[in-house]
Order: sequence, then structure tokens, then C-alpha cells
Amino acid sequence: MVVKADKVNKWFGPLHVLKDISLEVRKNDVVMIIGPSGSGKSTFLRCVNHLEKINSGIIYVNGHPIGYHVREDRLIEDREKNIARQRAEIGMVFQRFNLFPHMTALENIIEAPLRVRRLPMDQVVADGERLLARVGLAEKRGSYPSQLSGGQQQRVAIARALAMKPSLMLFDEPTSALDPEMIGEVLDVMKELAHEVTMIVVSHEMGFARAASNRVLFMDEGRIIENSTPDQLFDHPQEERTKQFLSKILH
Amino acid sequence: MYHFDWAIFWQYLWPGTALQNPLIRYGLIATITCSILAQAVGVLLGLAAALGKMSKFAPFRWIADFYIWWFRGTPLLVQMVLLYYGLGVTHIFDFPDIHIIGITIIGAIQAGTLALAINEGAYMAEIVRAGIEAIDPGQMEAAKSLGMSYGLAMRRIILPQAAKVIIPPLGNEFNNMMKTTSLMTIISATELFFGYYQVNGRLFKPFELFLDASFYYLAMTTVWTFIQSRIEASLGERKQVRAPSTFQRIFRSSPMAH
Repeated sequence: MVVKADKVNKWFGPLHVLKDISLEVRKNDVVMIIGPSGSGKSTFLRCVNHLEKINSGIIYVNGHPIGYHVREDRLIEDREKNIARQRAEIGMVFQRFNLFPHMTALENIIEAPLRVRRLPMDQVVADGERLLARVGLAEKRGSYPSQLSGGQQQRVAIARALAMKPSLMLFDEPTSALDPEMIGEVLDVMKELAHEVTMIVVSHEMGFARAASNRVLFMDEGRIIENSTPDQLFDHPQEERTKQFLSKILH
Repeated sequence: MYHFDWAIFWQYLWPGTALQNPLIRYGLIATITCSILAQAVGVLLGLAAALGKMSKFAPFRWIADFYIWWFRGTPLLVQMVLLYYGLGVTHIFDFPDIHIIGITIIGAIQAGTLALAINEGAYMAEIVRAGIEAIDPGQMEAAKSLGMSYGLAMRRIILPQAAKVIIPPLGNEFNNMMKTTSLMTIISATELFFGYYQVNGRLFKPFELFLDASFYYLAMTTVWTFIQSRIEASLGERKQVRAPSTFQRIFRSSPMAH
């Protein structure tokens, strides 16, 4: 079990954004989360690597509670060092790429292996070049993010996350900020990855869901409304709210 | 009718003759070194105060807030005499002269520079904080998601980007700093203005001598303005933003003056 969420609740002030979210993600699963904006899907994803705090419940990643330890039935927030160590095992790809603008593509990729894992320079450079080649950007190693297109930036961002050899990859609307003609190149990279790493993807890319995912969750108003296989959920949704939502994004 | 003494005026303006006077020679050296030192320490204090102000740990915030409140809310001149005479008379710290590599740094210079640095830190804190807050929060999130600690992310990701925002106002602060060192005269620190002040005490030619002193300050700030334009132009290259020209810079009023 790579991720196990148990009755996770979260409030933003008076707003109850996650309501009793429970979920299990096994090794090599590719789980898609869809749902209207404000449904809590991105917030849940951000809780999985503790970029957001939760108010109750617990999320285990690789068997360890993330961000907290349990003492006498209460959640105590972990020390920063422990949280950082856990995050190093979880890759995250953001909607707006968040590449480091003062570093080249290769420098972006080798930064964490070099400074967090403290691996030797020749090894991280060799790894970084291999990853750049893998996302089809071998010749862009010396380019700064501002010199790359959105699709290229997102591919570098994926390579940067992969450089830490994570056991879990989180994708937070990875194609939403892209021009339509660049979406394909990013999805192609993600499809290839789907065979070898566990993924949770917040996205409405139905084609990707059918081709690469083995489970789709529909979230609305902070709850998981439906959880099934992509074909089942898209072709035979069980819940009324799922049907309504699908009819909106399909037309 | 006042008789303008051209001989005195030229003698204390032309570096070849003016710098023969040890008070002015050492004063000029002291003004330049103290400005650089006070500014450097001020930046470090400002960085510490900015991080303190943004800390999750409340006592750090209180200390930073108190520091900024006190040193921005009281006159630098008062801070200087309080530090030098106040600590001296209570024997908390006497500022003994320091002798290194054949140079004597007198207590007043130490106290004056320290006061300038502490005062500057309170102003730099806001500049540094604004610089850090100008950086997209997504940068810190990306760094954290790669397993970086807060400190590592600050050092490698946030501060190098914030530096570009901080450097233009920092240059203006340094411009002010070179002029503000003249306040050290009040505690008899032997800087440039003190040198001219002493010479005037002997010759009583205030118009000629203080005009000469003005030219030396102008020379320093003008040279710095050129250096600053160069630095900002090299930063602007990648940002595609044009820094103001040296001409614009010299003849516009500084918004950061305090």
C-alpha cells in the first residue's frame, strides 16, 4: 500500500473542504481525481505530501503517517526534518510548473539530488541528462525556464520530480496551464511513466484516464462521490452528481 | 562683505593637497570603510530580522518587531550617543581601541559603525522582507516537495531570486549610508566630516571647507551611482527590464531617503 488515507477532514476557517476522505492506493496504481473546482481534489493531493495540514484523520505514505505522528490518539505535527525526508520520496508536479527560474533545465533537475540526497556531481549530472533525454529535451539542458515553452517546462518539472526516484508521483492539474497543442507532449510522458511509478493525478484529461489510469475518483463538495474504473465511471456513472458533472465537461 | 579664501578652498579640495592632512586622509578612508562595513552588517541584520518577522515561532517575531520598531522610531543620532556614551558610562562596554595590522580603530569609530549597522538593519529588514514576499509561493512549495528544508530552500531557491528585487533599493541605502556616516562626528569618530570640522576649528573658513567636504561626498556618491547602474544593468539583462540611466539616477530624488 503506497497511500492509505483514513477519514481525512480539513477546514479552511469555517469552510469544511475535505469530509471523511478515505482512499487506498496500491503500488503501480494510477489514480485520477476529477471533480468541479472547489471540490477539494487539489487540496487533498496537497495533503498527501503535507503542503496542506489536515485537521483530523490520517494519511499514510509507504506505511508512515505523513506530517504527523500519533501520540495518545492525537496528531502531533512532525519535525520539519522528518517531513522533508518523507517529501523527498514523493514527487509533485504543479499546474504552474514552478521551475526555479534562476537555474537551467539541468540545474533544476540536479538541485535536489545534489543538495538533499548529497549524491556526487558526476552521478547526478549523468542521471539528469538521462531524464532530460527521456522527456525528449536532451538538447535543452542549458536553457533557462523562460526560454522554454509551457509544455517543455512541464516536462522538465516532471524530470525534476523523477530525479529523486520517488515511490509516488502527485500531479496537480499538470496540463491546465498549457496551450492545447502542448498538452499531448506532457500526457505522452505521463503515459509512459504510468507503467512504472504509482501516480495520483488531478486532471480532467479523459483520454489519459482511459489510456493510463486504473481508477477514477469523482469528488464533489469535499467528498469522494464515486470511485471506480475509468470505463465504468465515464460510461456508466452511478451517481446523479457524477452524471451532471460529466455532461458538463463532455460538452 | 565676506572674503572667499580661494587658496584655502583649493588646498582642501584638490586631493593632492587636501589628503596631506592626516585628519582628512584618514577621515576619507574611515568614511568609505565604515560605510561598507555598516552596510554589510546592516544587510545581515536585516536578513535576520526579516526571517524573524516571517517566523512561525512567535518570540522570533516579537524580537524582530521590537528591533524594527525601536530603531526606526528613534533618531540615529540618539542611538549613536546612547550606544557609545550610554554603554561606556555604565561600563557595560567601553569600546576600547583595537589595534590590528598596524592600524588603530578607535572606540568611537567602532560604536558609530555599529550604530549605523544596527539602524540600517531595521530598514533593510523591510526591504529584504518585501524581496522575499515578491517571490511566487509556488517556488517554496516546489522546493519543499523535493525534500528541501526551509533553510536550504531559502538559501538556494528563494534568496537568489529575492536578491534581484533587493539590490536596487539596497544600492540606494548604501548611497544614504555614505552620507549618514557624517553623524558620527557627534561622538568624535574620525571620519571625513569630522576631519573638515577639525580643520575649520583651526582655520575658521566654514564656507570654503564645508563646500570642499560637500564635493568629497558628491564624488563618493556619484562614483557609487555609476557602479550601481552597472550592477542593475547586468541584473536587468535577464529580466529584460531597463534600469534607470545614470543621469536619471543622479538627478532624481531618492524615494528611500530617511
